[in-house]
Amino acid sequence: MSGLVPFLRKEFSETVRTWRLWVVPGFLLFSALSSPLVTYLMPTLLDQLGTAQQGLSITVADPTALQAYLEYLGNLGQLTLFALVIAYGGIVSGEVRGGTAALTLAKPLSRAAFVTGKWLSQALVVAAGAAFGTLICIALTQLLFEDGPAGRTVLAVGLWIAYALMLLAVMVLLSVELKAPAAASGAGIGVYAALVVLAQFEATSGATPAGLPAAGLAIVRGEPAQWALPLVTTVAVAAACLVAAVLRFERREI
Amino acid sequence: MLTAGAAVHGSGVTLVETTLPIATHVAATGTSPALVALLVVLGAVEVGLLAWALVDLYRRPSAQINGGSKIPWLILCLLLQIIGPIVYLAAGRERVKPAHDPLAGGGPAGSAAGRAVAGGATVAGVAAAGAVPPPLAVQRADAATVADALFAARGAEPDGAAASGPAVELRDVRKTFGDAVALDGLTLSVPPGSIYGFLGPNGAGKTTTLRILAGLAHADAGAVRILGRDVAGGGADARAVIGFLPDVPAFYKWMTAPEYLRFAGSLFGLSGRELDDRVTAMLELAGLAGVRTRVGGFSRGMKQRLGVAQALIHGPRLLLLDEPTSALDPIGRRDVLDMIASMRGRTTVFFSTHILSDVERVCDTVAVIARGRVVAQSGIDELRSRRGGLNRLSIEVDDPRRLWEGLAGAPWLRTVEAGESGELLVTCDDVGAAQRELPALVGRLGLALRRFGVDELDLEDVFVDLVGEDRR
Repeated sequence: MSGLVPFLRKEFSETVRTWRLWVVPGFLLFSALSSPLVTYLMPTLLDQLGTAQQGLSITVADPTALQAYLEYLGNLGQLTLFALVIAYGGIVSGEVRGGTAALTLAKPLSRAAFVTGKWLSQALVVAAGAAFGTLICIALTQLLFEDGPAGRTVLAVGLWIAYALMLLAVMVLLSVELKAPAAASGAGIGVYAALVVLAQFEATSGATPAGLPAAGLAIVRGEPAQWALPLVTTVAVAAACLVAAVLRFERREI
Repeated sequence: MLTAGAAVHGSGVTLVETTLPIATHVAATGTSPALVALLVVLGAVEVGLLAWALVDLYRRPSAQINGGSKIPWLILCLLLQIIGPIVYLAAGRERVKPAHDPLAGGGPAGSAAGRAVAGGATVAGVAAAGAVPPPLAVQRADAATVADALFAARGAEPDGAAASGPAVELRDVRKTFGDAVALDGLTLSVPPGSIYGFLGPNGAGKTTTLRILAGLAHADAGAVRILGRDVAGGGADARAVIGFLPDVPAFYKWMTAPEYLRFAGSLFGLSGRELDDRVTAMLELAGLAGVRTRVGGFSRGMKQRLGVAQALIHGPRLLLLDEPTSALDPIGRRDVLDMIASMRGRTTVFFSTHILSDVERVCDTVAVIARGRVVAQSGIDELRSRRGGLNRLSIEVDDPRRLWEGLAGAPWLRTVEAGESGELLVTCDDVGAAQRELPALVGRLGLALRRFGVDELDLEDVFVDLVGEDRR
């Protein structure tokens, strides 16, 4: 894949110097900071409401580190993935529509390197953002609560990263296929919704990528979790999407 | 509305759901004023941010939206309230600072003296990287000297096949877009080292041809070779020896000119000192040295010059330029044409345009394309003379109508039209015969001859004749 290294350098620079840095890593950081804080402050807020509200009965358990971690994973699984799907709708088509791809691909940069570089750079950004966010979340949680399942949370975030990178590969494929970024984002939301639906059925949840988020939550709770097969299929789906994206992009006119 | 009832994951909260208007809720229950104030402030901030973001999104042109599309940002703002508008306002709007063009005069970066000194140092650097003696005196404006150093420093020498064969060879190339035929059996051959004008009206197939040569589009049929290399099947080795400038070059707006040139050079495998020297030399050549503004703020002329510079960064053996002067003002056009002319004898330039004066100024060979086919291909002088001695005689007599009638049936006659000052403009296939017979005809008709001369047709006349002939 000729030209991959300089193209990756360009992608990283672009991430740092443009809006891209703000979206997914921004959401990750927001989730990492807000989850322990919201969990910690929630009883106080509810107490304020409940004591003043006639006829309102509120029973609040003391917040725990486990709740903070579950809140964090919940945010990663919804808010951040949603932002990922929206942000990366134009990951390939944006450059093609904008005309920058024509100048870049007229140089000895292979189409495979272009597509792979797009995915790889953003995969590293998402993974690094998740790792950094998780460290912040764990540190803040340790500060606000007693010891919690930090190790299990790290494992669950690892599974979330795999799931997010698969969705990123799906977005790369959609962005190659659909010329309009908004259309790719819309289709990506459809894929995300379909995975949420598939997660509701035991058969599909235990054998497809759809089961990975629930497996992560189960791991944090310390419950038995089926994550091996969903992880394998997640990696397989991601690889298949990338291969398909490369093959389709090689035939595409710029 | 104030809504309670959202459950925290695994928090064990049991909550009787209630939904009350805030005012009613406060009046009825006497909720803590601090909490109400907080909620009101939060609500106001949320609504304010959303309104600000939506109004800005509505008013802002798509070109000034990061990512180029409004819809994802709209979805983000609407669905992720508070966070979505903050993200859009912080990162979605593109702020571009207009750049000062040194060649437009004014600033110190544009001063001739400053450019001359910097240019000298740079060219020496490029020459040194290529182990050739540095030139003794260099002017910034001396594009040919920069080009000398650039191409002398080029590592790879032409291979035998490429040196002896055509630089570009297209044979029976066909390309369609649905029912529309863009290229209809296009065949042409570009001599190595020439500046080759690829001339045609809008929609003739020029851009399609260049996109195929640059590897951005695929021919449906036919053979396409660049310097002996087959372009079909990816053509990465062919792309390694070309420099390409599309009609509207688009750069990464967040980069500066040196950053883009560095990126372009690194894709061609350049690195270290050689890359540094070439970047500096190309900035000098393009008149962009000292410009540190992002490319997003560049004028069209600056972008076009940067486009030529990025195409030259690796010392290409074939330079593909798609209408490089079409949207430039006269000064920008002169700059770009000077840069192209400086490549003569150093590399092959394949240059599409519909501006005939540009072709006459810099090209030595020309092909005229119409409806996806080459209708003429030769040197410019040869093209002019081959059209006929396509020459035009200008004759003024006291009664032009009688002469017009008398010309009917002349075997050498092609067309007759009235000139602006009453003279007749006679286009003929055999100018010698016309020169002999026309004055004799005037004598036989008893007319008074006031003026008689031969006008050589310019390229525009030839072009109109060729393209018009194809359309007939």
